[in-house]
Amino acid sequence: MIHLGFVTQALLFLPGLGLVLSLLITGTRLVRTYRQGRRRRLAAPVRAVLLELLCAPEDEQSELLDRIAPADKRTWKALEPTVAAMLGKVSGRARTALVLLYERRGSPADAVARLRSRSAARRGRAAQVLGRLRHRPATESLCRLLDDRDREVRLTAARALGHIGDPVAVPHLLESLHGKRTVPPAVVTAALTSLGPDAVPRVAAGLGDPAPLVRAVAIEVLGVTGAITRTPDIVRALWEGPETEVRIRAARALGRLGMPDGLEPLLAGLRPGQPVTLRTVAAGALGNLGAVAATGPLKEVLGDADPHVAGTAARALLRLGPAGEAALREAAVGRSDPRAAAQARAALAEAAVGSTRRVPVEVVL
Amino acid sequence: MARVLIADDDPDIRDLVAFKLTQNGHQITAVEDGMAALRAAREQPFDLVLLDIRMPGMSGLDVCRSVRAAPETASLPVILITARSQEGDVELGFAAGADDYIVKPFSPRELSSRVAAMLSRVER
Repeated sequence: MIHLGFVTQALLFLPGLGLVLSLLITGTRLVRTYRQGRRRRLAAPVRAVLLELLCAPEDEQSELLDRIAPADKRTWKALEPTVAAMLGKVSGRARTALVLLYERRGSPADAVARLRSRSAARRGRAAQVLGRLRHRPATESLCRLLDDRDREVRLTAARALGHIGDPVAVPHLLESLHGKRTVPPAVVTAALTSLGPDAVPRVAAGLGDPAPLVRAVAIEVLGVTGAITRTPDIVRALWEGPETEVRIRAARALGRLGMPDGLEPLLAGLRPGQPVTLRTVAAGALGNLGAVAATGPLKEVLGDADPHVAGTAARALLRLGPAGEAALREAAVGRSDPRAAAQARAALAEAAVGSTRRVPVEVVL
Repeated sequence: MARVLIADDDPDIRDLVAFKLTQNGHQITAVEDGMAALRAAREQPFDLVLLDIRMPGMSGLDVCRSVRAAPETASLPVILITARSQEGDVELGFAAGADDYIVKPFSPRELSSRVAAMLSRVER
């Protein structure tokens, strides 16, 4: 039996708790608004000079830098978020001026030191600033951060390395894909891609890595960066690779690279008996390749039992130009295979309304 | 001197664009969302509109379409501002009736040249 006094006390306690919580939330918001207002007021005069700096001709920048750089600690703290945000929003001389401002404040050196801070938030913030500044001397320290105990810090370090663009980071980024403390493949792929063509030899070295994920990411990056000289390696990965994920990435990369060497392995990847995802990606890649020789094999799979393979093949035929379109028209009126006819009619209808440009060639799996 | 309307929800970009164009001698009206931009475009005469594509509520593309649809603003030159990651939106922007676009990050100098080029094209 529940004691009546206990129920009464609970009923009195709950509204009290609600009141305390409401006061806490309101108080926190008020404090935050007050702080934001104070920061805005503090930063306002220097912010105007900052805008002037961003728009100034080169010969006037030095004088404006002299006016902003000596700002006291409190003012700089209030202004710095705007400076950091602006780094990602402006280019050219304006961006150079912001980097100079950071250098005059001694910020890059401070940020490198903060990469060893006990606070994960500080380490992450420092990595972000160094990335935005594209501070190349910080590459080695940021590579070490790829093994940080905090996941967010590892992600920020990987992104920062991508911004900095030093190919020295490639093996470290690939290594961060496996082990106890990892970085997600999408983040590593984006970072490696932004390193550009200079990084291609080091990325290609990843094709020999025993870890399938490393090989898959290396292949994807080579495809995106247009490393056509690596086509034979990617062809080999598609022919010989035992792991489906690696073969899928190889098929997609061959479509992106658009080299004729890709035709045969992609046609082999399209054949029945191969994994459905690989067949779908191969169909899309054949469309990207634009090889008329793929018309027959693509037309053959229009009636495939798997709608992803068939739909992607239909869209790929559209990308082959008049030969592919003629194949679709023929299939659309054919009576022997109703599934193929339906796929062909759907693709032709999409083309008629101009929607093929909006829909990716690969049917979403 | 031209009358320029700027719509961007990012105060840094809004202030930077306004500052640069004011420096160039233009008269600026800056707003922070699409609805306010459309209202301003209908109520006041402008020579050029700069619209951020992604804004809360009414997007820059929606504003552009509405500007083109109304006879009194149909011929108003529109420049879209877009982030590099949203470059796919540019095609949609031209379909919506935009005349030009600027990709972030941009240099204030480039912005200034684009605006000058657009205004001189309109004058001709």
